[in-house]
Amino acid sequence: MRVWVRVSIVLVLCLTLGGLLVHAAVTEEQWSPYPDAADLSTGYESYAGQQLVVFGTVTETSDSEMEINVESDGAAITLRVTGIKTAVEPGGVVQVYGTLEPNQTIAAERVEVVNSSRWAEFYKYGASAVGALGFLLLFFRYWRIDRETWTLEARDG
Amino acid sequence: MADLLTHLLVPYIFCTVASWRVDWLDQRWVVVGMGGAAIPDLMKIKIVLEERTVESILGFPFSYDPLSTLGGVLLLAGIIAVAFERRHWRPVFGLVTFGGLTSLLLDGMRVYADGRASAWLYPFTSWRPPTPSLYVSSDPTVLVVALLAAGTVAVLDRRVRAHS
Repeated sequence: MRVWVRVSIVLVLCLTLGGLLVHAAVTEEQWSPYPDAADLSTGYESYAGQQLVVFGTVTETSDSEMEINVESDGAAITLRVTGIKTAVEPGGVVQVYGTLEPNQTIAAERVEVVNSSRWAEFYKYGASAVGALGFLLLFFRYWRIDRETWTLEARDG
Repeated sequence: MADLLTHLLVPYIFCTVASWRVDWLDQRWVVVGMGGAAIPDLMKIKIVLEERTVESILGFPFSYDPLSTLGGVLLLAGIIAVAFERRHWRPVFGLVTFGGLTSLLLDGMRVYADGRASAWLYPFTSWRPPTPSLYVSSDPTVLVVALLAAGTVAVLDRRVRAHS
């Protein structure tokens, strides 16, 4: 197949994908129902009383409360989470489902620990890096780039 | 989402077992299926290039989230397929899509505090499927189970190939 045909197909698919990446951002409210840090920073009071889920990094903890830092799109907001039953180290990441109350507080109904500490995140990225490297080595063991046609071709033909 | 290594091991397990019955599905094709499993992880690009940076360059809203959805997997499977020779497009597209779907399903089973996974069927529907909340992304148990299963399949695969 001619190179220009392949390039045209890739361009059409890339443009469609680009459109999807923009469309998702424009229509975010339809499929991501909860306000993010940017929404809460600008219009906190309008969301008070609503149930929501936030992802945040724990900055302080006590027996029944913790403080989390929620970030998105360059905006950040600190929220106090009450009614917690799970111990998390500062630096850990949690999901909180609960009701947004005045004074930057969430009355938690459910708290899930995503990363129990900073180390949990290092583990995740470490395992992913091993996976990426292993995959690339394996892939190019079986496939090669044919420089005449600029396609991927099996090494054993 | 689960770590990338776990994502890659899941289609390895399924494709290798399938290869015992499907003649053309040899190891080079199993690797292609594994590659598809990495597609939803591409949204981690945001670690090096934030969405707001892209938005400020483009001048309009932008989100990486569709990369970790059915629509993103199908489009990227198409782009990847075209990188191969024309005669390989169909198997590459099928296997890459399968790999991507295994990752989406695996991620759809992780813990969400409200009991609903992300809308990973986007753009076909904005419905958020219920999740069985089996694991959190940093839980090493998931990787251990995947490694044990993949190791078992690799040993069995060697025996199957030795007998055939």
